[in-house]
Amino acid sequence: MKFFEKLAKIDRRIIFVILAITIISPFLFNLTFKLTPLEESKRAFNFINSLPEGSTVIISIDYDASSMPELQPMLEAVLRHIFSRNLRVILLGHWAAGVPLGQQALEKIASEYGKVYGEDFVVLGYRPGLQAVIINMGKNIHATFDNVDYEGTPLSKLPMMSNIKTYEDVACVFGFEAGNVGEMWIQFANARYGVKVLLGCTGVVAPDLFQYRQSGQLVAIVSGLRGAADYERLAKHEAFASYGMTAQTFAHVLIVAFIIIGNIGYIFTQSKKRRSS
Amino acid sequence: MKREIPMIITFVSGMAIIIALFVPHPPFGRVEETFNNWYIIISGFTMILGLNSLLGHNLDKVKRKAEGWPYSLTLILSFFITLIWGIVSTIRTGHIFASTSTFRNYYYTYVFVPLQSTMFALLAFFIASAAYRAFRARTVNATLLLVTASIIMLTQVPKGETVMAPVLGVAALLAVWKLMSEFESAASWTAGLPYLLLSIAIVAVYLPIVEVLRTQTTAVNDWIMNVLQMGAKRGIWLGIALGGIAMGLRIIFGIEKSYLT
Amino acid sequence: MGLFPFIFALIVGLTGPRNVKVLDKPNDDGSAVIIEWDSASVTPAVKMISIYKIPEEMWGHGSIKVVDLLSRNTFRYVDTQVKPGKRYYYYVRFWGEGDYIDSKIVGPVVPKAEWFHKERLPMLVVLLIYGGLLAYFLKRIRKGEEVYIRPIAGLQAIDDAVGRSTEMGQPVLFILGLGYINDIATLAALSILQRVAKKTAEYESELIVPCFDPVVMTAAQEMVRSGCFEAGRPDLYNQKKVFFLTNDQFGYAAGVDGIMMRERPGAIFLMGLFFAESLILAETGHSVGAIQISGTTSITQLPFFIAATDYTLIGEEMYAASAYLSKDLHQLSTIKAEDMMKGIILATITIGVVLETILTLLGKPIPNYIKQFLEGGLWK
Repeated sequence: MKFFEKLAKIDRRIIFVILAITIISPFLFNLTFKLTPLEESKRAFNFINSLPEGSTVIISIDYDASSMPELQPMLEAVLRHIFSRNLRVILLGHWAAGVPLGQQALEKIASEYGKVYGEDFVVLGYRPGLQAVIINMGKNIHATFDNVDYEGTPLSKLPMMSNIKTYEDVACVFGFEAGNVGEMWIQFANARYGVKVLLGCTGVVAPDLFQYRQSGQLVAIVSGLRGAADYERLAKHEAFASYGMTAQTFAHVLIVAFIIIGNIGYIFTQSKKRRSS
Repeated sequence: MKREIPMIITFVSGMAIIIALFVPHPPFGRVEETFNNWYIIISGFTMILGLNSLLGHNLDKVKRKAEGWPYSLTLILSFFITLIWGIVSTIRTGHIFASTSTFRNYYYTYVFVPLQSTMFALLAFFIASAAYRAFRARTVNATLLLVTASIIMLTQVPKGETVMAPVLGVAALLAVWKLMSEFESAASWTAGLPYLLLSIAIVAVYLPIVEVLRTQTTAVNDWIMNVLQMGAKRGIWLGIALGGIAMGLRIIFGIEKSYLT
Repeated sequence: MGLFPFIFALIVGLTGPRNVKVLDKPNDDGSAVIIEWDSASVTPAVKMISIYKIPEEMWGHGSIKVVDLLSRNTFRYVDTQVKPGKRYYYYVRFWGEGDYIDSKIVGPVVPKAEWFHKERLPMLVVLLIYGGLLAYFLKRIRKGEEVYIRPIAGLQAIDDAVGRSTEMGQPVLFILGLGYINDIATLAALSILQRVAKKTAEYESELIVPCFDPVVMTAAQEMVRSGCFEAGRPDLYNQKKVFFLTNDQFGYAAGVDGIMMRERPGAIFLMGLFFAESLILAETGHSVGAIQISGTTSITQLPFFIAATDYTLIGEEMYAASAYLSKDLHQLSTIKAEDMMKGIILATITIGVVLETILTLLGKPIPNYIKQFLEGGLWK
């Protein structure tokens, strides 16, 4: 039974090729699933939807290129929703190498909606210190960023910033998380200053955050590619995350299939070995 | 003396940190913060050591034309291109990531980001091959792990519950097959009886279990994650914490000296 | 306070801060004072809040504004600009639209540096029990008692792995992970490195150690050097083989993967702290056919190592490694103490679960003092 032996020892390169084809094909053929959005994703969407026009959302980029496939589509979906509702954005971040990703997404979506820098959105960039930055923003956002935006333009010259001094003047913080910065937003911005916090995070990080959601310290968690796909669907603009979600589903099923095939091969070769011995 | 002085330093600083944990009164209260600041300053300077090592190691390879020297050359060139491009961009636009910065628009976007994502994306392929290799029904424990992992993977994706029945069906069939072959090769009828009973049990519970998994997918997922998984994790954590304290005390009291050479 | 703002405030419905309390922050070094006020007194008319402090020597000469403006959702403020032993008075000001109302002046409060952190008493008790156990087992060992430690497969396999690698004429690769020198897992990994270095020197095999952190690199160089010395082969120590790679997570993974593909090591050790790169390293190691021994205290990465490597040191097994490998009796006694402590903790948990179950079945609450002791609240 050479066949079963082969099943038990498939060359990993064959697995790689099949997996690659499975992951790429949904993107080539624009395949999507009809997802029913998770309750959590709906909460986030509805919260942003309920904000009055002209409100400001602080967006925090706390990830870098390695988590980009999960979080960048989520960020773009959220930004599209924000700008379509005529809300304003302040972008900052605690992962220095990731902030430019946020900037690029912001510039792209803002130009789609004809938004103007300084009036509809501002980029404050990165400041080292994490907790200290989050705490100080509760006292004075301008001073925390030395009164300038990321390119050194004085905040006093940006019309949007004249009314924004502390968390009191923003509607919420929406953090995009690949690590533990989200917990800092909850512990320092929400617990001390009462600002509403929403978090979009990678699938791996989500289990650590659900306790805060249960305790009511978090408005909502948009988790992983699934959350991003949900948000795209809710905002009626299906893009990368929806195709990515299809790819992820296929990949999961494929891995389970490989596990089963491996076991069929293993069990049959084992019983054959036993018989021959 | 070469050994004693570091041991004394370790003992004194270790004890100071322990005392600081219980005594907030000056001068103890701020000891940990002070030590951390010292560490940050020292480790900043050691970056120079690291650079020296990295560039020295690779320059040496290039000079000797050692095997794989073009890789080393690539590394050295990449290092200086990144450094110089970054500095020039900062000088010209005022900020390394300014919207007009060529460093951001070319180097960061088309080199740094794709490289970093690629490395992380490899994980998907490696998970597939590792899962295929490792999740084999070798023992009862391994089988349990295998079945649990499959259930969790399927509950994480949309429509996962619809394929739950065939997947578990195949798993049950395989399990019965294996048990029956054990039964067949058992020395006596009584020795083989448990295998037979277990196979009958698997067939009997298959339908109810599939029904529960299909209708209560999220609840099953939550239970596995919050009860089974957390329990095991906490057990390991407890061991790690105690082991860590023991190791710390061994170092502070000079029982463990392997770090002093 | 002027008469005009006061009257204005009355008209728009701004009321003053009620129940303002100041207290010395407990369990600190006397550098903080807590100011609290009634949350119910913050009416919608209150827009901002500021806090004023009057140090004793300034009494009658004005006050110091502590914070510029606090948001209206704040009901508590910790002032860290105080000196222990001095007397301070405070008052709180609520701001409306251009008007304000002050609270009564409260105080004096004298920040005190304390000699014992009362909330940490339970921790001290546990530490003392643990310390006592350590001393006890150390004494027993000094009397010549034998110690049995169960065999740890991953540690027993070290010599075989190095031996096999030598037979195949391939180098040994030792990966220290992403930890820094202040992580205990990294220290444990370093002591295993020393053992591996000694073995490779004995077998005259090549050892490669790429590092993520320059401080760890320096320590690793010392470890390899001393391993070579112990084996009596100082001439085999090559500092260039213990080198710094990069401080970037996936850059490090890429670099190490490259080394694996080019050098084709016969044995790979993955010891220390690992994160998302663990499987990328372990799978590449498997693909080049190396024997792999891994060890980490990062629980999330343990499943990956167990799946992809031949032997895995789980959590505390890593910490036990240096005692296990050196067979030093003093070190082994600490592992005995650790096991005993674990027994005590397990017994405590079991008693707790049984008690709670019984009390719940009887419909009685758990006595408060037990809860308070465990949470440290009894000693506040």
